[in-house]
Amino acid sequence: MKTNLYFRRVAVIGAGLTLFRRRMLETPQELAWEAVRKALDEAGLELKDIDCVVIGSAPDAFDGVHMKGEYLAHGSGGVRKMVSRVFVGGATGVMVPNTAWYHVASGLCEKVLAVAEEKMSPARPHPQSVFRYIWDPITEKPLNPNLIWIFAMEMHRYMYVNKITKEDIALVSVKNKKNALNNPYAQAAANITVDDVLKSEVLVWPVQLLDTSPVSDGAAAMVIVSEDVARRYTDTPVWIEGVGWTLDNTEWTGRELAYPRYLEHAARMAYKMAGIERPNKEIDVIEPYDPFDYKELHHIEGLMIARRGEAPKLLKEGVFDIDGDIPSSPSGGLLGVGNPIAAAGLMKTISIYWQLKGTAGRMQVKKPVHTGLAQAWGDLMQASTVIVMRN
Amino acid sequence: MSWDKIGIEDKLLSWHEIMEAEEYVYTVGVAGEEFFNGLKHKKIIGGKCPKCGRIYVPARLYCEECFVKNDFVEVTTKPYIDTYTVVYKDDEGNKLEKPQVIALIRFEATHGGLLAYVEGEVNIGKEVEILEYKIPLIVRVK
Ligand SMILES: [Zn+2]
Repeated sequence: MKTNLYFRRVAVIGAGLTLFRRRMLETPQELAWEAVRKALDEAGLELKDIDCVVIGSAPDAFDGVHMKGEYLAHGSGGVRKMVSRVFVGGATGVMVPNTAWYHVASGLCEKVLAVAEEKMSPARPHPQSVFRYIWDPITEKPLNPNLIWIFAMEMHRYMYVNKITKEDIALVSVKNKKNALNNPYAQAAANITVDDVLKSEVLVWPVQLLDTSPVSDGAAAMVIVSEDVARRYTDTPVWIEGVGWTLDNTEWTGRELAYPRYLEHAARMAYKMAGIERPNKEIDVIEPYDPFDYKELHHIEGLMIARRGEAPKLLKEGVFDIDGDIPSSPSGGLLGVGNPIAAAGLMKTISIYWQLKGTAGRMQVKKPVHTGLAQAWGDLMQASTVIVMRN
Repeated sequence: MSWDKIGIEDKLLSWHEIMEAEEYVYTVGVAGEEFFNGLKHKKIIGGKCPKCGRIYVPARLYCEECFVKNDFVEVTTKPYIDTYTVVYKDDEGNKLEKPQVIALIRFEATHGGLLAYVEGEVNIGKEVEILEYKIPLIVRVK
């Protein structure tokens, strides 16, 4: 894609998270309020200073409330303001800052709240049941599939094409759950071994319990502003330098599942905007979307940080460890922090923002970092969103 | 021309399937707990903003204007009918035996309102007495 656009520089100056937990006592609106309050406090702004609000929430069906954007508006600070809601399934969490970016980059707004919330606990018998909506009603639904089914098929195809073992993949879960021990918001932090993963309950072969992220409730918020505002409010703004998003064909049965083509396109868009030519050399820290352990590897390849099939080798060499060359999911990711769908992607973006600001606390990676990337993925395995930031 | 104008359902090549979550269990939330516990003790609990003083009914955890955490207070101001309607059919379109009066009850000097079944001679602006503290409220026109 050739772009010939003029746009303003955009910065992040504040962020907030709630705990990620199953069955939180707060309502979705209360969760959103808590995250936004913290983000405003970090930015040093009040709600009256905000021009517009971008709300991200994946399908309405999770919270069990129709028109969730409207429902969340007062908890997100959107009352009598310009409000947009975006939703591209699991990819929503990074689509929220991307959307906030173009609200500011275009010159339309100066100060935007980017808010993501998801409450997975209300649906019965299980949050998976809300995914009954997403299948082809004629050719797929009669088998009563759930998402773990198709991820299992994708995982198996990835393993087969690239000759990758379950042991190789389990290392992601081990790494991320361990990283999450440093994250005060995390739900599923643990010191586990590859053996623990391989001995955990088989859900849908080859997906086992410890290959997956948990059911979570949670919210996340960011304050995203123009360059002028950023300079007035902070000495350490973090710049949004590249954004990208794409949607591949919903006909997932027609795609080569071993490689996330949808992501390569989104990444190329973001890299071009950020002037990145060699992602594996120029990006210091990454938060690829990891609802399942194989997905982190899959996505590292789609981001072109590793060649096809080579992510497991680099992982084993320690490249993606918290003290490695390219720390991956230093927050603990969805496997370790939890997976309130839209909020999880924004949590990843916030994690990179805190890394680049140098305020990630015990999550802070060892080496100095200048360029970071967060990514999310969703819908019927075909939506992808990427954000590149620099300090 | 569309199918619903010319088609006959049984004659179309169609597939029957249900795609819904079976059930939801909702959390009443932090403010909701205060409010529902209040009802148990025949009290209306609101959320009062420490900054602008606005009182939300039912209780709200935060002020949507000032975005600060509210205090929980008992609302003792006069309840009155803000507006009302008369329902003649149920949600499946069946005629009710007796029309049902439903009103929006507000409390003086507060923000928000609660729905109620009303007894007595309903009129906008009239003060009501709360007979049963539940959802919906049951009230009688004073
Ligand atoms: Zn207030």
